[in-house]
Amino acid sequence: MALPNLVLIGTFTYWPLINNIYYSTLDWTLGSASTTVVGLQNYVTFFTSEDASKVLGTTAIFTLVTVGGSMVLGLLVALALNSKVRGTTFARSAVFAPYVLSGVGVGLVWLFIFDPGYGVLAWVLRGLGQQSPQWINDPQLSLVMVIIVYVWKNLGYCAVVYLAGLQSLPRDVMEAAALDGANSVRRFFDISMPLLSPTTFFLLITTMLSSLQAFDLIRIMTPLGNGTSTLIYEAYLQAFGAYNRAGYSAAISVILFAILLIITVLQLRFVERKVHYS
Amino acid sequence: MRTNLDRRHFLGLAGLGAGAAALAACGGPSTAGPAGVVDTAGIDFSGVKPAASIDFWTNHPGKSQDVEKAIIEKFHAKFPEIKVNLVTAGANYEEIAQKFQTSQAAKTGLPALVVLSDVWWFRYFSNGSIIPIDGLVKQLDIKIDDFQKSLVDDYKYDDKQWALPYGRSTPLFYYNKDHFKAAGLPDRAPATWQEFAEWAPKLKATSGAQYAYIYPALAGYAGWTLQNNLWGWGGSWSKDWDITCDSKESVAALQWAQDSIYKDAWAGVSSKEAADDFAAGITSSTISSTGSLLGVLKAAKFNVGVGFLPGGPEVPSGVCPTGGAGLGIPSGITKEEQLAAATFLKFMTEPENTAAFSAATGYMPTRLSADMSAVLAATPQIKTAMDQLAVTKVQDNARVFLPGADQEMAKAAAKILTQQGDVQATMTDLKNSLEGIYTKDVQPKLKG
Repeated sequence: MALPNLVLIGTFTYWPLINNIYYSTLDWTLGSASTTVVGLQNYVTFFTSEDASKVLGTTAIFTLVTVGGSMVLGLLVALALNSKVRGTTFARSAVFAPYVLSGVGVGLVWLFIFDPGYGVLAWVLRGLGQQSPQWINDPQLSLVMVIIVYVWKNLGYCAVVYLAGLQSLPRDVMEAAALDGANSVRRFFDISMPLLSPTTFFLLITTMLSSLQAFDLIRIMTPLGNGTSTLIYEAYLQAFGAYNRAGYSAAISVILFAILLIITVLQLRFVERKVHYS
Repeated sequence: MRTNLDRRHFLGLAGLGAGAAALAACGGPSTAGPAGVVDTAGIDFSGVKPAASIDFWTNHPGKSQDVEKAIIEKFHAKFPEIKVNLVTAGANYEEIAQKFQTSQAAKTGLPALVVLSDVWWFRYFSNGSIIPIDGLVKQLDIKIDDFQKSLVDDYKYDDKQWALPYGRSTPLFYYNKDHFKAAGLPDRAPATWQEFAEWAPKLKATSGAQYAYIYPALAGYAGWTLQNNLWGWGGSWSKDWDITCDSKESVAALQWAQDSIYKDAWAGVSSKEAADDFAAGITSSTISSTGSLLGVLKAAKFNVGVGFLPGGPEVPSGVCPTGGAGLGIPSGITKEEQLAAATFLKFMTEPENTAAFSAATGYMPTRLSADMSAVLAATPQIKTAMDQLAVTKVQDNARVFLPGADQEMAKAAAKILTQQGDVQATMTDLKNSLEGIYTKDVQPKLKG
């Protein structure tokens, strides 16, 4: 039964992965029919270039803030949705909806909101006598803009998963703690959070992997990648953007793969030890 | 603690690999020999019969989808044996280039005719992705002498013709006539940027617009539009292959631009499309492609004026670059397809069709014999673009021939115009980047 799946994953994931590692050893201009083998030169070029620190820094900031932001806000939203108030069913749908929307559509709509000339945000700011920041042209603000939209789009996923976790918490433990005089804050940090640790661990892995591979919003909102060039976007720009350095791009992809692999292994080996499965 | 990590590991790694799969999905190159241009000696179309069906890849420059369809219908009526499939291959020149380069790498799915912009055709040439069309020009009797010489010469290299001009443009100075009138200014574009600097405070004070002038979006070819400023101040991105963007003239030009935003506070920078900002009334003037002309005239709710690009303190006129796109024929397709493509290329660039294209978009007619009387009667502003052609210059090598130079120029411009970065330091960094690209990606191919 596993064979068809193994064949599919091998063909469409592992074979391209191995091919990509081979391409990373080439000096290959995309579109050119021929190339030369340069060994590890593309890796040396990347790590000795000024771009390496910029790209790795941007990747780290984007990943940490989007993962942290999505998880923290998702948890807060889940706590709100877990309460017994009117309208939670609608609120759950509303919170989750952005997650299933097309990243391209979301990016285009938010670009209109952020546009300093005729965007909604600029209109509000002008009403307050303020000029709109240059969200799109200023590289630092571009990163902030993309992070805001990414977190907005993805926090619904974290909220729904956390909500499922919250609703499966054992009521008897919570009630016993309440009877013993533990207030709601203490119950949350000393009981709910430890019991939610499998959920947190699951979200940490999945959101980090998807955040490190975030592409659509960055591509639509900041096509030049000026200030928003994470590893995966830099790999795209180098090969398919203006530069056409396919071998160099493949090397960046391999570096990204190595980082993802290391993070996942470290998480599985060390973070999971702190997870309470029962 | 033992968990079901084996399955998770496996699926996790599958997810990790996905990020690396894009390039590997391509067919891949050969390490058998050096890359190079097409062996033109072997191109002979005698006895070849045109293919029955070909693909034409376009991004519909200047919102030209309807006029392209109309021209294709006329072609089908005249050449029923050749079917042309109009393919939207991207929203802009970069997207169409991306698709073309990827198909080139995949060695499949190539079109017979492709739109190639000023910054892409040379790369296609140096990668051997397009064929010289001299033989086809002769065989099909394409009247090269009837094309605008400066536009057709843009695609000449190594004594061969690599493409023909199609959606060719120059930047134009667009101004809001109503704003100019309210400010007591003459109804014309400024002769120089110094003159405009005198006008700008009056415009800002009376127009109610956010800006007197808006610089074009940096992601939208900043290297092209800022060419005007550099030339006006006696600077340039490069002289031949020497990178000169850090010269004192170039730095002075961009310092002036920065001051217009931060010190004098009458200019801004567009975030997406300056022509749209202008048509929306956000600014009293801007520079945008002639290809935006029809769109602006349609969208603007005020009287639109157009004029030549302003000169600068050192060079008061003749500081307008050519730009836009041509049409080329890929090398990786059959001779039958290439011949059919050339037949369509000839038809597409016939005088009446270039006039129709110009009427629909605002792009310049590429043929000298094109009858533009009806077009100019309907849209007299196109005459300004046509007249300006006589005082245009071919862009600096650094912008059009260095892969990725446009990106680097846009990033440098962003640093100067949106972050108030030090102009000299930014231009010095840009020079280093451009020289690196030249040394690595261009110089070896020129020697080869």
